[in-house]
Amino acid sequence: MAAGRLVDGRPPDAGLPPVLEMSDIAKRFGATQALEAVSLTLRPGEVHALLGENGAGKSTLIKIMTGVYQPDRGEIRLAGQPVTIGSAAEAQRHGIAAIYQEPLLFPDLNVAENIFISHQGRGAVNNWRKMFRDAADILAALGVSLDVRSPARGLTLAAQQSVEIAKAISLNVRVLIMDEPTASLSAHEVAQLFKLVRDLRQKGVAILFVSHRMEEVFEIADTVTVFRDGRLISTRPRAEVTPQSAIADMVGREVGLLKARPAVAKGDTILSVRNLSREGVFRDVSFDINRGEVLGFAGLIGAGRTDVGLALFGIEPASSGSIMLNGKEISVRSPGEAMAHGIAYVSEDRRQLGLSLPMSIAANISLPVLRRFLTRLGLIRTGEERKTAEAFRKRLAIRTPDVDLAVGKLSGGNQQKVMLSKWLNTHPRLLILDEPTRGIDVGAKAEVHAMIGELAAEGIGILMISSDMPEVLAMSDRVLVMREGRQMGIFSREEATQERVMTAAMGQQEDAAA
Amino acid sequence: MRWLQRHVRPEQVRELSLLILIIVAVIIFGSLISGYYTARTFNRIASSVAIITVVAAGQTLVVLTRNIDLSVGSIVGFTAYFTGMIVAANNGLPAIVVVLIAIGMGMAMGIVNGVIVAWGGVPSIIVTLGTLAIYRGLLIDYSGAKTITTESLPKWLVDLPTTELFYIGSIDMRAIVVIAIAVVIVFQLATSLLAFFRRFYAIGSNPDAAALIGLPAQRMVFTAFVLSGALSGLAGFMTLARFGNITVVAAQGLELQSVAAVVVGGVNIFGGSGTIFGAMLGAVMIGTLEQSLFRLGISEFWRDAVLGLLILLAVASDAVILNRLRALWARSGMTLVDKPATLPTTGEATR
Repeated sequence: MAAGRLVDGRPPDAGLPPVLEMSDIAKRFGATQALEAVSLTLRPGEVHALLGENGAGKSTLIKIMTGVYQPDRGEIRLAGQPVTIGSAAEAQRHGIAAIYQEPLLFPDLNVAENIFISHQGRGAVNNWRKMFRDAADILAALGVSLDVRSPARGLTLAAQQSVEIAKAISLNVRVLIMDEPTASLSAHEVAQLFKLVRDLRQKGVAILFVSHRMEEVFEIADTVTVFRDGRLISTRPRAEVTPQSAIADMVGREVGLLKARPAVAKGDTILSVRNLSREGVFRDVSFDINRGEVLGFAGLIGAGRTDVGLALFGIEPASSGSIMLNGKEISVRSPGEAMAHGIAYVSEDRRQLGLSLPMSIAANISLPVLRRFLTRLGLIRTGEERKTAEAFRKRLAIRTPDVDLAVGKLSGGNQQKVMLSKWLNTHPRLLILDEPTRGIDVGAKAEVHAMIGELAAEGIGILMISSDMPEVLAMSDRVLVMREGRQMGIFSREEATQERVMTAAMGQQEDAAA
Repeated sequence: MRWLQRHVRPEQVRELSLLILIIVAVIIFGSLISGYYTARTFNRIASSVAIITVVAAGQTLVVLTRNIDLSVGSIVGFTAYFTGMIVAANNGLPAIVVVLIAIGMGMAMGIVNGVIVAWGGVPSIIVTLGTLAIYRGLLIDYSGAKTITTESLPKWLVDLPTTELFYIGSIDMRAIVVIAIAVVIVFQLATSLLAFFRRFYAIGSNPDAAALIGLPAQRMVFTAFVLSGALSGLAGFMTLARFGNITVVAAQGLELQSVAAVVVGGVNIFGGSGTIFGAMLGAVMIGTLEQSLFRLGISEFWRDAVLGLLILLAVASDAVILNRLRALWARSGMTLVDKPATLPTTGEATR
């Protein structure tokens, strides 16, 4: 039996015909080329790992394979036959299934029904006894013991993923996509999951495995493909890949697109954080920020960077650790307290947490400190409000005919500037910026960067969370790297290189990358 | 406790406790009202419960899909009135045709609701609030505010509510009660056995997952509203038979009663869980309270307030109680067992 000969790490038998071939796939969203000329081949019994930074195009590729997106260009062949995958249901009919970090089960249906819900041809009438028996058989073959009668609600994440895998197997899946399946699992659960993955490989299933955990990729994968900026950079058998070479492929872009921010003479320490932790989210984060300094927060999405920002601003307060502001220990239990201490937080989510889109620019800017704009009777001094907004409009070059315009009518970049104005209007000593330039155009991005430089020069301490590596490296005086809720290290501007930062973010040893 | 956990689900514990509550309520009312334990009380409560139950069965299907149907009271009133008008003009119509006319009328109104909600993308609470007013408005306008009277109806219809099909002890089972029981049995079986009806639970439980496996959510929501309309039509016929005299305000407020029955009966107002049987228990609870409070001489307005209080209590306590029960029921989760020897174990597994 051909599949039985496959052993970990051995390149898959090149003699086996590929089950899925994608050639020259391209996909564009607005101004962003999400995928460009990507060709990928999956063979039966192969665990194919996909590596890449946030936004490298992995998710877009998965969504094309599962029928969520249609490619602009390129061809998909399944067992040699060209196919179009028009919907998720169609992908399933082709034997392509995906398992996500958060399993998509029906919490109110029981385990057996979750496994068989999308099966055709089991008859119009549910034969519960047969369904329970079949489900138990499938789970037993996977080596999983689970009560098939209990509802999916309340199962552990690992158990839910087992149900998803059982579902995929019962549908005779040929290609199984696993998108960061281990992100919320414990080490023990990961071991269980990998046992299932190995069984599937022996059954000849092609597995596309997306993970940010390098050690897992090297434990389970036969082939490693690296994506960067929407392109496929390399596909190699695992034996020919090292963590260092993979990281080099992930970050190997041209540097120097952004001019480094001129350093500012450093002042006294504004903020001093020691062993800040929030149960189950992040642990033992310690750093200082000086007057006029930009501290960059680098790491992958989900590393806990935003959670540290939310803790400092009191939205999700920390559970332990200390925060010293200007040498005095403070506790921040709510955004109101944080603002009173001179902390401002510019959220990464402009629509949800940042701005009230139907309200005017002026009203948005005055909102956090509305009390300053009230008359003694509690009425809003709109003239004063407008004057303040005008000042910010000039200072940040907000492109609008009028500060009475609804914020929702502005472009993304100008919305970002309004949000920055809103928080600068609180006269902060410490400014937390979360993904300050995400989704805005190059021109607006440069203006926001210039503004950050000016603010630092005025003596404001800035904590900048960003997933845009060149931005972090160009703007920061120092870079703190986080990974899975832990602080991996703080690099000075001279030490911080793309490779070093990415190595830390991927959890690899510093010396291994050198 | 172990045995209990293996054989009973938390949702069933909830239904059981509702049954106990109903018994407690009956005992309390029995001690307050003289002559409470009589066939007359049973018949009065049972006919009221029967109509609420049939409407609540349809409401359950709608609520399972994360929607709500507020137009049921107007549909019941509309069908009761116009079916009555048709029968009054054609006394010779066979019974089955009359029933089908009522169901068809309700269905047509359910189709309007379903199309706008499923394909128009308008929230169901808005759509059915609108049609609640529209259907009632049409009724008032076309009826010219006249009343259908018992004298104009054929004898079989007038006699229907008092027609006894069979006896259980001294309690006689009347036709409209039997209709309600049949509806409950049919829909309870359908929702637990038919793959098509199980999808109502799926799309209410996790719409994203339902979309991902290609369940036709819009068609399911449409179907739920059509069935709710059809059952309301049937309830309209039952209302016509029960009261004989139908005015333009017939069945007003039934939407409140049906929603109350559904949530008191343990159907999750956020969709995905609950049973037809539970909704029936809810209807029994509400019908018992309403008729008994009436016997106690408590005004109609206070009775509505009691209904409102019940809805609030049911929804507020639901989350708390069910979460407690579920925590109590939660198993340790999954364990990996040794693979059976019959399966090929090569590579990693044998190492």
